[in-house]
Amino acid sequence: MHRKRSLMLGAGLLAFSLSVALHAADLKSVIEMPDASKILKKDRLAPPKSYTMPKGCITTDKLAIARGEYIFHNLNGKKAKKKPPKGLAKFVKVHGKKKPKQYGNCVACHNIEGAKGAGNIGPDLHNYKKHFIESGARSYQYVYQQIADPRVHNPNTHMTVNLTTGLFTPREICDITSYVVSEK
Amino acid sequence: MKKIISTMAALAMTASLALASEQFSMSAADKELYQEMLENNPADIFVEEGSELFDELVTEEAMAKFLGVKVDDLPKTIATFPRYIPQVGEVLGLDQVMQAVMYLNGHKPFKLKSGKMFSMLAYAKSLANDLPVAIDVNANEKMKESYELGTKMFMTKRGKRGLSCNSCHSKEVVGLLLRTQKLPDLGEVDAGGTWPAYRMTKSSLRTLQRRFQGCMKNALLAVIPIGSKEMVALEVYVTNLAKEKGKKIAIPGLKR
Ligand code: HEC
Ligand code: HEC
Repeated sequence: MHRKRSLMLGAGLLAFSLSVALHAADLKSVIEMPDASKILKKDRLAPPKSYTMPKGCITTDKLAIARGEYIFHNLNGKKAKKKPPKGLAKFVKVHGKKKPKQYGNCVACHNIEGAKGAGNIGPDLHNYKKHFIESGARSYQYVYQQIADPRVHNPNTHMTVNLTTGLFTPREICDITSYVVSEK
Repeated sequence: MKKIISTMAALAMTASLALASEQFSMSAADKELYQEMLENNPADIFVEEGSELFDELVTEEAMAKFLGVKVDDLPKTIATFPRYIPQVGEVLGLDQVMQAVMYLNGHKPFKLKSGKMFSMLAYAKSLANDLPVAIDVNANEKMKESYELGTKMFMTKRGKRGLSCNSCHSKEVVGLLLRTQKLPDLGEVDAGGTWPAYRMTKSSLRTLQRRFQGCMKNALLAVIPIGSKEMVALEVYVTNLAKEKGKKIAIPGLKR
């Protein structure tokens, strides 16, 4: 009698755990648990990279500075209101699709001459030429590197990476740098 | 009825607000409207809809049974989410648990990103209103793993601008301005206890994971899907920030 009961109990337990196992498989197919690993792998950031400023990088060319200024003050081609200067597009083709061109949005963190609604996460860049370049505190190379990949100067920086991510070309980094160090 | 009508009026008003405050923080007029909406959150209408769907398709009884708790203890358990669900062997959000319960009740589960699921999630989480956020990231190995993954997701720089969540939400930058937007302390603003929330600038009900997607999109981090292990882990991390600050659950939230 006793034995029979424990046998039945055993069988019952087996059936129960079987149904739990089946259940888990079932539930896994009805609960959405999408895989994000591929997206994340493609989105990885390369390690910090040192750059040497290309020849002729810093310029007083008005158009280049205007492009740098435009990149500094705008987020992307969809949000930007004014027409971009020559040599800078509002939309670009990415994998054959028309997409708004991304700009620097530097003003989100830095105040500077003519900034509208500037943030203060990064230092104020007013009078940069006088305070940082002419004072000898910073070289052009330093500024170029800071914009291209600031992690080289500060591994824990809160600033954006602009060249290592492929967001901009070296020429565009030169335009932005030229704007920052220009007389305003 | 009166409440519904004034809710509709508030909804209409937010349309203009959305345009005004897309880029700039709140004007005095917007702040006044915010105060008014706090008394009469437009999201109430969604919570109401969520309650009807929940009572028809999920039910407190079935949910309690699934979680292995008494119906009376359901709110207390809801306050611990995201949590480890042994039947599935994973740490899950409340929305995912509702998918399971809908299925067991013989219904086709709503998609995680559907409006109906957002409404139902708001209602289900509101059952725990006024209780402290009670996630336990040390409850078991799976919770520990999820918290670790969440921390990593929060700290890792990625995307076209090389930013992490921490670039804008670390202690060093809280309170500073990004454009004209004050950077919030995610624990202090009780992000873990106040989403789903009505987002005034979007004129709609959004969930915490949907809000994460918003930050990812804005900062050019590739957007990852709601319900992925990494998203749940981020929710675990951010919810724990609210717990550390002793925050309570208050659904639906109201956000700029
Ligand atoms: C998310 C915030 C953020 C954004 C966006 C940002 N910066 Fe910065 N920037 C900082 C911070 C913070 C520093 C201070 C140094 C550090 O912590 O790495 C800094 C430092 C700098 C410096 C160095 C100042 C010095 O000490 O000489 C320059 C130049 C600069 N940024 C230019 C730019 C430009 C140009 C852009 C846009 C392409 C930009 N920043 C975008 C946060 C930001
Ligand atoms: C470039 C800056 C930036 C980055 C990167 C960023 N955020 Fe945000 N986040 C913000 C700002 C600014 C706000 C406040 C916006 C507002 O008030 O509408 C915000 C708001 C939030 C909120 C809502 C807080 C509340 O009121 O309840 C959450 C949650 C959040 N962020 C999570 C994240 C997560 C998770 C990540 C990473 C995936 C992230 N953020 C990345 C700037 C950022």
